[in-house]
Amino acid sequence: MIKVTIDGREVELENPVTVLEAAKQAGVIIPTLCYFEGLTPFGGCRLCLVEVEKLPRLQTSCTIMTADGMVVRTETDQIKAARRSILEFLLINHPLDCPFCDKAGECDLQDLVALYGPEAGRFAEGKRRHPESFDDPIIVRNMERCVLCTRCVRMCDGPQGAYAISVTGRGSHSFVEPFSGGKYNCEYCGNCLTVCPVGAIMSRLHRHSYRPWFVEKEIETVCGFCGVGCSMVLQMRENSIIRAIPRAGVGFNKGLLCVRGRFGYENVESEEQLTTPLMKVDGDLKPVSWEEAITFITESLKEIKDAFGGKAIGAVASGRCTNEDNYMLQKFIRFVLGSNNIDSSARNYYAPAEAYLERIFGQGITANLISGIANSDGVFVVGGDPTAINPILGLQIRASCRGGGKIIALGAPGGLKRFVAYELMPTPYSEEIILSAIVGRLLKGKALSGENTTVEAKLRSLKIPSDEDLGMTGISSEDIVRASDDLAGMATPVVVIGPDIIQRERASKNLARIFLLSERPNYQGVMDMGCLPDFLPGGRPVELEMFRHQIEGALGLKAPQDKGLTLFEMINEAETGGLKALYVMGENPLFNIPDSAKVKKALGNLDLLVVQDVHLTETSGIADVVLPATAWPEKEGTFTNLERRVQRVRKARRGRMASYGRDDWKIIADIAERFGMTKQYLRVEDVWEEITHVSALHTGLGYEDIAEGKAVWPYCGKPLRGMEGDFSVEGLDGLPRIRGSKKPYLMIERSLYHSGTFSRRSKALLSIYPEPYLMINPLLSERLGLAEGEKARISNERGVLELKVKLNEDVSDSQVFLSNTFEGAGAMGLIGFGIDSVIGSLYIKDNTVRVEKVRV
Amino acid sequence: MEKFLLKNIENPDSASLEEYQRVGGYKSLNKALQLEPSDIIAQVKAAGLRGRGGAGFPTGMKWDFASRDVKFPKYLICNADEGEPGTFKDRPILEKNPHLLIEGMAISAHALKSDRGYIYLRGEYPYARVVLEKAIEEAYAKGYLGDNIAGKGSGFHLSVHQGAGAYICGEETALIESIEGWRGQPRIKPPFPVNVGAWGMPTVVNNVETLANIPLIVAIGAEKYSAIGNPECPGPKLFSVSCCVETPGVYELPMGITLKEIIYDHAGGVRGGRKLKAVIPGGISAPVLPPDGVDCPMDFVNLPKRGSMLGSGAVMVFDDTVCMVKVCWRAMSFFEHESCGKCTPCREGTGWMRNILKRIEGGFGRDNDIELLQDISLSIIGKTFCPLGDGAAGVVLGFIKNFSDEFRYHITNKKCMVSKDL
Repeated sequence: MIKVTIDGREVELENPVTVLEAAKQAGVIIPTLCYFEGLTPFGGCRLCLVEVEKLPRLQTSCTIMTADGMVVRTETDQIKAARRSILEFLLINHPLDCPFCDKAGECDLQDLVALYGPEAGRFAEGKRRHPESFDDPIIVRNMERCVLCTRCVRMCDGPQGAYAISVTGRGSHSFVEPFSGGKYNCEYCGNCLTVCPVGAIMSRLHRHSYRPWFVEKEIETVCGFCGVGCSMVLQMRENSIIRAIPRAGVGFNKGLLCVRGRFGYENVESEEQLTTPLMKVDGDLKPVSWEEAITFITESLKEIKDAFGGKAIGAVASGRCTNEDNYMLQKFIRFVLGSNNIDSSARNYYAPAEAYLERIFGQGITANLISGIANSDGVFVVGGDPTAINPILGLQIRASCRGGGKIIALGAPGGLKRFVAYELMPTPYSEEIILSAIVGRLLKGKALSGENTTVEAKLRSLKIPSDEDLGMTGISSEDIVRASDDLAGMATPVVVIGPDIIQRERASKNLARIFLLSERPNYQGVMDMGCLPDFLPGGRPVELEMFRHQIEGALGLKAPQDKGLTLFEMINEAETGGLKALYVMGENPLFNIPDSAKVKKALGNLDLLVVQDVHLTETSGIADVVLPATAWPEKEGTFTNLERRVQRVRKARRGRMASYGRDDWKIIADIAERFGMTKQYLRVEDVWEEITHVSALHTGLGYEDIAEGKAVWPYCGKPLRGMEGDFSVEGLDGLPRIRGSKKPYLMIERSLYHSGTFSRRSKALLSIYPEPYLMINPLLSERLGLAEGEKARISNERGVLELKVKLNEDVSDSQVFLSNTFEGAGAMGLIGFGIDSVIGSLYIKDNTVRVEKVRV
Repeated sequence: MEKFLLKNIENPDSASLEEYQRVGGYKSLNKALQLEPSDIIAQVKAAGLRGRGGAGFPTGMKWDFASRDVKFPKYLICNADEGEPGTFKDRPILEKNPHLLIEGMAISAHALKSDRGYIYLRGEYPYARVVLEKAIEEAYAKGYLGDNIAGKGSGFHLSVHQGAGAYICGEETALIESIEGWRGQPRIKPPFPVNVGAWGMPTVVNNVETLANIPLIVAIGAEKYSAIGNPECPGPKLFSVSCCVETPGVYELPMGITLKEIIYDHAGGVRGGRKLKAVIPGGISAPVLPPDGVDCPMDFVNLPKRGSMLGSGAVMVFDDTVCMVKVCWRAMSFFEHESCGKCTPCREGTGWMRNILKRIEGGFGRDNDIELLQDISLSIIGKTFCPLGDGAAGVVLGFIKNFSDEFRYHITNKKCMVSKDL
């Protein structure tokens, strides 16, 4: 026990902490400027100086550790004088332009001077000048205001790990600058904005458009971009979002946000937001009243149900909608219309992988806490760049590296490039061989714990690739040995699996924790709400009578007993005429499923296509009815993130709709009522209440628990199924054949700066990444005679696109990358797909393209 | 006194290994390799060697701390970032007697069980780099460096790392930051480099001259060594004498010799027989002494009693033609330019004081400028991150204390007290 006396108050400490921390515990406030919780101590501003008995010099309380018997004084005349002079020093070169500085009102320097500063300065010389930099579209740098606390640099080099900025120059001519010069070439996380205590690093988005005291309300909610589910605060004025900021200490993102979360919110403020229902009249979408639209949908669905049965109707749920929205859609389709044909784009990779892994391991496998990654001693990243898909999860991997963890990547490491011990870069589509070889090696080394005999038995039948097999992958057997030994040596390994490689997963029990990357905020919720053709809410298999009867009993409604169609099967059925109606909520299948031509044909075949969305999309363009729905910050509800934490989404603004706000669940409930559903839902809480009765997973989980952050898996102590199921693994005794292609493969770029079509209307994100481009390796570009910025034409039998070229030496020269974001230039359009026979996921095939230079 | 550090440097080939060996070089290394590392540390402790970089920390104690740390590898870094105005004492060793340094480092490495060393060389010493690199190559060829030094199984690798011209990188933790590839700024202490230094490992940073003393201690033993000069801080010392003397240069003299002897017996007296006005005894960071200070012995013990310090032993002599306000302004220009920017008082205070001094020198001084300068200095002293700021403030206080009349004259009469005709 350490006993310290601070200003006469005694504090007892278990472990040595800094004097600053001890003072906080004693209730003594010491002013600070360069100190920021979570960043490495710096000791530069000298504002937190204190007197420590027996030490000759004043000490910075943020750096000196407490020792037993230490006597500290923080309010002596000497200390007060020191604070006064430090603040006088800080102001001599400060422009004192508070009247038009956006920071005024929430500026640490302003507050500190008011509390501790001198009444007047004595500096009579000219101030140092440094012009404000507007070189960047998002971040304005005003280095005249900078106090060189380096919080931004320590944030960038520390938790963010982007290493994008540094102090340049010396003495009072030191300035913080990006290494790239004027424009930042960074990850645009904006976390430097959070930590800047003054108006030196500011956002351009709302420059001179508000004052901190204009903020009328602050809404604590969950980010709507990806599956990490970071806590954030929307600062509102009137009906408009002023800023999206993190809140220190709230949520597992610990005050960090990524570019999409911080700057992407403008998409919901877009003028293009739908305000009224639309119906196709003579081939064009025309505004109609809600009554007209809903009557039309009801009558059409009734006709189809009567003529072809419920099986002719299908629905697509959305990873961007809340649990309540998805639950309601599921209830409507399954229990009201009598169809199990409900699925979502989670089918692309997330849902099948999740279900499959659960069957192997017998437990909610992605339900590990994200914050645990940082403490692991090794991370194996497979098939995707977590720092782009789920940036805040990616930061945890970087933190693991900083803590001595070994990061190994299979495939291009992307934003982990600086952090990986090494990467294995196999030729396209040979990842399975590499994984088989690694597992083979692990088995040989008896690294398996042997707890899960089913897994072990399956793995024993695995065909281990020979050196010859490996020859085609471009990875040597020495590399396999190294990677396997490293993995086997990890005590707390984490495996992160990205969308690029959902194939047969052969990770052994030794690979303890698995994180699936989720591109959408609520893929997990979509599944837990039963928006799957084979699972009821709460992850209960629809084919098991006992479970079905339980839920039917709770609802007083019947559900069909056979499995429904998956997303891809619905497309196929629509194409052949078996499916007559499709209800699409918050999804854009025409753009987000490969082979657009096929999808377009299939959707065109339908008798009724209903699309419910915030904006017009490719799919709504061919719909019969389009219903305007509220956007993510306009509604109440819950999201379930990729660690299966349920979090509250809160309404920050009113929707743009002229009439009353129409949340997705409400629209669907209205339609369901026309079909005779008697249950009334007044508020979103009523929907959640029903969920807690229907889903065994969520029993007893109230909104209050969720708001208090208690909704961490397993919510009420009940695991999902709690047993190891048998699972089928086909083709373990064989290996895929790698066929080389002279033409490069077209791959989907999963950019940090965009989130599919969702970010198309985010001005800030567009200013960073304004137009589609084709990312190619410099070697390939040389072969093709293409230079950076020139136009390339890519084509195959599915279509032709013309795109600007961007060089990137981190991609393989047998691949080209294109994002699936921009209208008319989506990668999916040129990609073919197949359906994995075991786990039902989409796999990409026939995606080679011809790349040539466009001659002007 | 017999020269040891600058032995044979008049010889044009003094930097060659052959020539160094001819005058007895590398004998100490051979002798040291027969000794237990702990014995060498004990000898250095007993010899009473104090660091020659400026702070005068007992070298043996520093080594002891590092050798007690259980972490390996350990690093030995030679601080050759000689960047303070007036200081050029290490230069003759680096350029004329590089093998003495290499021998000293090899012995030290053996004592510290370090197998990796760096010479952090000042960016503005390009010639020294050429000489050092050639000498290192020769030493490798002869087996004085490498995996198996002199066939005794002890390994030590050495290379030169040239700085980019920042004075602050002479501060040991900033130097380590710089070697690691970061911006050269001091680190928080504790932990000290002897425990957590380069790449987090125990690291000893010693000045060129300190390391060059090691072969002598090994050669003659602690007892004989401690008999040289002042027993409280014994040994030979290099003094770089500059400014208004007849024969400026580097002189190797016993520690504790008086300033008077250095100026008049060795450096030929004040230039042109003029009147002595002031002496800075230890480089620009050492507070100035008035003429009556020249009877002070030059060592780590006596100069602080006179309100100054030995520092690097750079003696700057000013005669009556020199304006003290101008010297002070120039000194402050140096500190402002070299302040790294990490801590507020040094970063802002040095620039502010430079501005005021420039104003006074230019004839635009204000009535309370002297009080303001003193107040700013006191606001800096004791509050900075590293000694650079303290040094800068101490210099101003020293000039004002000893030459306040001259400052006041400048302010009142808006011109220099020193006649232009002198």
